[in-house]
Order: sequence, then structure tokens, then C-alpha cells
Amino acid sequence: MQRASRLKRELHLLTTEPPPGITCWQNEGHLDYLRAQILGSSDTPYEKGVFDLEVVVPVRYPFEPPKIRFLTPIYHPNIDSSGRICLDVLRLPPKGAWRPSLNIATLLTSIQMLMNEPNPDDPLMADISSEYKYNKQAFLRNARQWTEKYASQTTMASENPDEENHQSEASQVKGSNASQKRKGSNMSGFSKKPCSKT
Amino acid sequence: MAAGFGSLLRECPLLLPQNREKSVYEGFVTAQGKDFHIRILLPVDLQLKNARIQCSLQLKKVLSGYQQILKQRLQHSSDLVSFMVELKTVLEAALKNTREFQSPALPPPQHYSGLIRDIETLGWNKVVFVDPTFTTIKLKAEDSCGRHHQITLKLNPKYPTEPPDCLVDLPVQFTVLVDTQSSLLSIHRQFLAALESLKAFWNALDEIDEKTWVLEPEKPTRSATMRRIAVGNNVSINVEVDPRHPTMPPECFFLGPDHVVNPLKMKLNSNIHMWDPEASLLQNLKEVLEIDFPSREALHKSDFSMDCGICYAYRLHGAIPDQVCDDSRCGQPFHQACLYEWLRGLPSSRQSYNVIFGECPYCNKQITLKMSLKKS
Repeated sequence: MQRASRLKRELHLLTTEPPPGITCWQNEGHLDYLRAQILGSSDTPYEKGVFDLEVVVPVRYPFEPPKIRFLTPIYHPNIDSSGRICLDVLRLPPKGAWRPSLNIATLLTSIQMLMNEPNPDDPLMADISSEYKYNKQAFLRNARQWTEKYASQTTMASENPDEENHQSEASQVKGSNASQKRKGSNMSGFSKKPCSKT
Repeated sequence: MAAGFGSLLRECPLLLPQNREKSVYEGFVTAQGKDFHIRILLPVDLQLKNARIQCSLQLKKVLSGYQQILKQRLQHSSDLVSFMVELKTVLEAALKNTREFQSPALPPPQHYSGLIRDIETLGWNKVVFVDPTFTTIKLKAEDSCGRHHQITLKLNPKYPTEPPDCLVDLPVQFTVLVDTQSSLLSIHRQFLAALESLKAFWNALDEIDEKTWVLEPEKPTRSATMRRIAVGNNVSINVEVDPRHPTMPPECFFLGPDHVVNPLKMKLNSNIHMWDPEASLLQNLKEVLEIDFPSREALHKSDFSMDCGICYAYRLHGAIPDQVCDDSRCGQPFHQACLYEWLRGLPSSRQSYNVIFGECPYCNKQITLKMSLKKS
């Protein structure tokens, strides 16, 4: 009940006043399954990357936080290889800091901030975390490489449009492969949950 | 008295009586190799208690904050000599302290007269702001398209041999070129020239700001090269315009669902050869993407402050938000059912009969919720 009225208002706000560098929209025909994109901030290794995320809104939302996961692979100490994010506002108290005064827009903004400022003291990926702490150069190089490989939208401003076209198609194929694989591996997890359409 | 005068001469050789009654002394008191002009007026009975001391502006400045001490010394000194000794001690201490805290001395008067002449050459009508110490000057300029711009100059004491630091709102680096001496006029001219060179860039962005729905930045500054333009529902395009080549294809990112974004990307790639550097940026984007940009949606900023902070609605099954956070700075309203649902799940809340004590989800302050029995 509360979920429906909240989502209606939130989706309207996300359309008319999206947070900087963030888009979020409703997947056709699904009330509880949203998609989002975060544009990597400049001066971070995620610059110029467009990162896809899925937002699953539980029935008890906003008493429970939405489940947010990266679909685009990202090299980050607090985000694991299946896109799960280690962030306190995504979990219920007492362990987490979710509260109904937050919403999807503020969560996505928090995730964008986590991308800018990783928290290596609460790691999900131990290797990346120690690399971030002790070998920042290597971390930045790897993160940039992943961004280029999986999240870049090479579209534009090339002298030779044909060549560009080719390249971007190639990278798109790669990217969608990766995200499909991920979706596949997680589909089973989602289908178990009751999918209520109200 | 003669002996007193002798010792005064020894202590302050530059301080001399100005009349036969020795009620007026004038001259200089020396401390740390510096002479300060001073004048001492004694009453008829030559009692120091009622003496008046006149100081030069400089001395006054150094001694400001020590007036109380000096007054006290004046009361306790038996004669002028002993007071002068005290005054010198205080002055030495004051000078030492000011030296530690004070920034380098102000530039000579010529600096300021030169600066005033400089401003007069430029014209006062171009000056928007000058701070009291004449170290920050703001000038205005208008480009040939009627846009207003400002430049802030931070002058250092070595001006005009050293150019001032310039703060501008431009998308490109602005450095002042100096031949031998900088003048405000030449800086202003260089600023105008820089503005002219960016005219095409601002024309392009002004058109976008005016005719499309720019999602961010909310209030673009003149230096902002990025625009996120709404294309349709939840679809937007991020363009990064090169200020030096505003009519060339900008760097673009698309945000939104694949089924809308992918066709746009493809159009961009296949139509890029149609990009016409003679046409405007917006026109080109429209042609190449084969779309019309929607204009800004009339945002009826409805007043959310009455709605429930949890379900974001006003009416929930007919109920209206009747619980309000008691903290006056918060005052967030909630439906009783929503607040109950949130608080009951929290380990930090506790319930006593039909009252729940917990924390406001907005401000964390204590909130008490009385459940009306008929509802449950």
C-alpha cells in the first residue's frame, strides 16, 4: 500500500528532477523492478562510464530498503563480482542505516558517492581493497580499464564514423554479454521471491 | 626639576618642553629604532594624573589595546621621566607583538595613487566592487551579445610590476599577458577579447538552455561546458561542449533504457557525417539524432510538506498524516499506521501498553506514538 504511493511519487521526481548524473526508470510492466544508470564522476577512474544498476523494490518498501545491484561490472573495493554493494544505507537497522526518510534517489546518490570514495576498511573484495590501500596506482589503472571495457559508451566525435561505429558495436556486444551472464546467474534468486503485482 | 629635566633628556632626547611652564612637551619617543611623534599636555599643577597624551596615528595604532595599562602607569608614575621609561617599555612590547601578528606593511601611498589613476583610465563605471584595502577589485564587462561578465582581481603590493590574480567564470584558462607593467585597462581589454573568443560557445549553450529542458546543471555558470538534456521520459543526453570548437560534435553520453538509447546511439553514429559546423549545436543534435527536444515540463512544485514522510502520500486508506515530529526544526508529519509500521520493527523502539517510544526517521529525535485503540 505504502509502496505504491511512494513509487508513484518517487518515479515522478526521478523523471522531472533526477539527481546529478543519475537516471532511474520503471521497467515496462513491472512495478517493483526498476533500472538505473549512474554516470561515473569526473576525476574518478569511473569517469565517462555509464553503469547500469537494477533496483528491486520489496513489498514492504519503504519499511525495507530496495535491493540495488550493479549490472555493469565495476572494479571497486565495496562492490563484488555479482554487483552486490556493501553500503550501510542499503541494509536495515541494527546492522544497516536504512530508514524511510531515504529514497531511491538518495540511495543512488549514496552509491555514486561510494564510487567516488571507496571505503577500504569495510571491504567486500579483499584483493581490490588492499590494492586500493597499498597500491593506488595499480587500482586506478585496473578500475579505469574495467570502466573502458564494460561501461564506456564510445559513440562520438570521431573523424571516421564508420570505424567508430564498428568499435562501439563490438564493445556493446561484449558489455551485454557480461550483463546477460550476470542476469542469468541471478535470475534463479529472484524468481524464488513472490512477485506481487498490485 | 632641573635634575629631572636632565634625566628626561637622557631618556628621551627628542622630547622637549614647548613652553616656559613646561606644561607642554612635544617630540619623539624612540623604540626599536623607530621614532614616534608624541605630545604630552600637563595640567597647571604639572600632575601626571591629569595629563593628556596625544599620539601620532602610527603610535596610536601600535598602542591600541594598551591604553588601559598606560592610564594605570600614568597614575602611578611620580614624574614625567619615570612615565616615559614606562611608556618605552610598553611600546617595545607592543611593537614586538604587532610584528609577530601583522602582515607585511602596507604598500607606499604611490601604489594607491597609481591604482586610482589606473581605475580612472579604465573608467569607474566598469568597477563593480572594491574592498576597503584596495586588494580586491571586481570589474564588469559586456560581450557583444549583451551577456554580462565579471572578473575579480586580487592585487598584491607589487602591482603593477606583478600582474594580479584573476578570477573569472570562463570555461577556459585565462592568463593575463603582461609586457612590462600591467594596467587595469589592458587586463580589461584582454578579458573582453577572451569573452569575444567564447561568443560562439555561449551562443550555442544559451540556445540549449533556452529551448530544451536542461536537467543539470540546475543553474549553469558561464564556465559550465556540460549539459544534461532531457530527451524523453527518463532518457537524457549528456553533452560536453568544447569551448574552443562549439560547433563541432560534442562528447555525448546517453542515459536511459536500452530500447530508447540504442536507436539514438545508432542514429548518432550513422548520421554523424551530416553534422554541419555552420549550423547551431542544437540544430545539429536535432538533425543527427532525428528528434525534437521536449521543452521544460511545467513543474508544479506541489507542497510536499503536508504529506506523510514515509508513504509520501496525503491520504492513506482515508487517513491523513496526524502524527508530527515534536522537534520544531523537523516537524515532519506521518500517518499513524506508517510510523507504527516503521517503529515496531526497530530494536531501538520500545512499547508500553499502547504507546511506542522511538526515533523520528527524519531527525533521530525522540518520538512518541500513541496508538488510538479504535484503529487497531
